[in-house]
Amino acid sequence: MRPANAGIAERFIKPNDRLSAFERLQIYNQQYWWRLLGALGEDFRGLRAVLGEGKFEKLAVAYLEACGSHSWTLRDLGSRLVAFLAERPEYTCPRTDLALDVARVEWARVLAFDDPEKPTPKAEQIAQTPPDRLRLQLQPYLNLLELGHPVDELMRKLKRTGAVAVSNAVSIAAPRQRETVSIRRSRAPIHLAVHRANFSVYYQRLDPEAFRLLQALRSGATLADACATAFAENKKPPEQIATDIKEWFARWMEFGWFSR
Amino acid sequence: MAIADCRLNRDSHSPQVSNRQSKIDNPFFMPANRFNAFTEYGIGIGLRIPHYGQILEKKPVVDWFEIISENYLVDGGRALHVLDQILEQYRVIQHGVSMYFGNAARPNRGHLRKLKGLVKRTGTPWLSDHLCWGSVGGRFTHDLLPMPYTWEAVEWTARNIREVQDTVGIPVAVENVSSYAEFHASEMTEWEFLGEVVERADCGILLDVNNIYVSSKNHDFDPYVYLDAVPVERVAQIDIAGHTQYERYLLDTHDHPVLDPVWKIYAHAIGRIGRTATLLEWDDRIPSFDEVHAEALKANRYLPHANTIAA
Repeated sequence: MRPANAGIAERFIKPNDRLSAFERLQIYNQQYWWRLLGALGEDFRGLRAVLGEGKFEKLAVAYLEACGSHSWTLRDLGSRLVAFLAERPEYTCPRTDLALDVARVEWARVLAFDDPEKPTPKAEQIAQTPPDRLRLQLQPYLNLLELGHPVDELMRKLKRTGAVAVSNAVSIAAPRQRETVSIRRSRAPIHLAVHRANFSVYYQRLDPEAFRLLQALRSGATLADACATAFAENKKPPEQIATDIKEWFARWMEFGWFSR
Repeated sequence: MAIADCRLNRDSHSPQVSNRQSKIDNPFFMPANRFNAFTEYGIGIGLRIPHYGQILEKKPVVDWFEIISENYLVDGGRALHVLDQILEQYRVIQHGVSMYFGNAARPNRGHLRKLKGLVKRTGTPWLSDHLCWGSVGGRFTHDLLPMPYTWEAVEWTARNIREVQDTVGIPVAVENVSSYAEFHASEMTEWEFLGEVVERADCGILLDVNNIYVSSKNHDFDPYVYLDAVPVERVAQIDIAGHTQYERYLLDTHDHPVLDPVWKIYAHAIGRIGRTATLLEWDDRIPSFDEVHAEALKANRYLPHANTIAA
């Protein structure tokens, strides 16, 4: 709030013998920024570590001024941050690609933490339905990301140093970091599932084919079509493909990633 | 006492019937009213994340826990899992921070729908939120902003409370907030405004005596004049908390023990209202569970016929 707004404040707010109208409003102004910057900083600790405190704060102020909060819950505060970063690279330059990857993972983490868990289908149901008719839903808390950087490794590294939360369940302010952290771009895209198990969030690397298969299922394809899409450019022998799919499904069923 | 057994060994989270029976059977139990579902709740503390482990492992004796509704208006995950475990052992009362009764706009239907679902889950006998506004044009401040105490605001605030109360199907109690600014436009005092709103909405009051004290210092009024104007038959719950004194104003920080002037106001309130469900709020720089609970139980000094285990 700028002192130039003092006249506006005086029109609406009474002063007292200790505080002017502007100073009384300024209490609310400060509280607003502390609360929202604090909440955003908690949810995007990795992005803070990558950008550094000063740069993150400038980004956060710009984001909040542009997007603000449109939800009654602070949980949703960062919902537009990834799109904002893509539109406004000047706030993350020269680490825009890394910042985007980290922000995508951290927002996926928010979603994975408390998005709904739907009932899982029975293995017999899946086995009894022909692949060309079988359509599987994925759990809402399962987020599939294609990344240019090994952000999962970065998050583990930051977790070890205490810069990111072990779990969303404990909300303790992270220490301010003076230095930024970085990771190199990966030679090949990294396919990551951000999901929840036993009420904790986990990162799971996926083979490219497995990633494509899950994406196709999520978009509504039958199992047969999803497999065809996943392995369209793959030269593996059919037996190997069958083995891969069997192993993946066993693991995904164990994780409870499918839903009815 | 029968009520103590009910509190210690609760195995269901629909306590209203059994507690009502206990109250009727027990002549020591004084005033409960229709805004707290005629229940006698004793002294509660906030259910806060740093205490989850101790509560779930050691199951300490606590009359009730307050939960911040918004923290549990989610569709899955750890928060609801923990809440369900808490509900197996304890009574829970919901307190909201973002319904914003004082908004000019009507309550958000999606928010209300989720709130109603949570009410069903917790079995809360009443729920509370603040006498304030906090969003406009779809933009949320996540703060408890002060209201202009006008007749027009009385009307729309009462309308919003009625809408929430009708939707959730249990009594709603509105909490007076700490404030740091006053409007030129105000046509009445805060306590007059509170009285008009609750009368028109036919709702209860969550009387926060720390907030009365903080605002009395910030706006130079006598807190006892405020207290004496409160319609006692509508007080569902009383909150106590700590605050921070700055050079030129007090800030409601909930990060300290309750200060003596606030205990004095609490004693006066209990003197007027009688034994009332009381909550200690401690939301920042939260100490150990035992410290928070011991601070809350100091309220026993002022409660008639106290039956809670002393600190």
